[in-house]
Amino acid sequence: MQIHTSEGPDKVLLLDYTMPSQAVMFGNLAVSVEDAIPDLPDIAFSANLCLEELITNTIQYGLANAPDHAIRIYISRSPDCLEIVVRDDAPPFDPFNSVPTPDIHAGVDERDIGGLGVHLVRTLMDEAWATYDGTGNLITLKKTLKQ
Amino acid sequence: MSFEFHLNTADGIQHLTLVGRLDSATFITLEKTINGLFNSAGDRVLIDFSALIYISSAGLRLILVAAKRARQVGGRLILCGLSPSVRDIFEISGFLKIMETADSKADAERALQA
Repeated sequence: MQIHTSEGPDKVLLLDYTMPSQAVMFGNLAVSVEDAIPDLPDIAFSANLCLEELITNTIQYGLANAPDHAIRIYISRSPDCLEIVVRDDAPPFDPFNSVPTPDIHAGVDERDIGGLGVHLVRTLMDEAWATYDGTGNLITLKKTLKQ
Repeated sequence: MSFEFHLNTADGIQHLTLVGRLDSATFITLEKTINGLFNSAGDRVLIDFSALIYISSAGLRLILVAAKRARQVGGRLILCGLSPSVRDIFEISGFLKIMETADSKADAERALQA
């Protein structure tokens, strides 16, 4: 299956990683992401946060916490962009249209944590969208790299 | 890299030190301790983030719980030692507007003793 769109000669696949649908595996994924882009530690931090928030949503809402599904993560890089793709086999689920936006201006008493994960993804990445291809969801994130 | 924490009391201030990765797998080990930090008016707590390399919304939720508890009982909470990356996450989350922070542990201790 062709996962990546707009493959170009200057776009390099840096990570093709499969993890089981278990939160306990995020630490291992984080090390692999850091190793894939060792010159971009700040972006690796952001990428790991976004991956955890989105995959946690998939595990909880898309897979009802079933621990035996495979989630595949691809990271590719061109001179001006890092692209992250997350592939699951869950029913259609678009986190960007399903989760309410949190009120980040609320006071301590009124403040609720719901929706914060997707808010972090939207803020940390330059582009983020999800599609369903008939067998699973494909989430694509893009982060512009400063020259 | 996993997660661990240490809780001790010095000069009437509880020091909670976070180490490693506070994520959706590890936050559960900290939950009970967070819930027990604030019990009466005047309780003072310092959370030291200087050895915390990563936090996600699962960990942020616990810090919000601590801030809510502090407010409920009339206690005081100061967060210190946030790395630039962790501080960014607090900023994006709107937490820097509703929580007190200090650059260093010494600054936090001074503020809590004042």
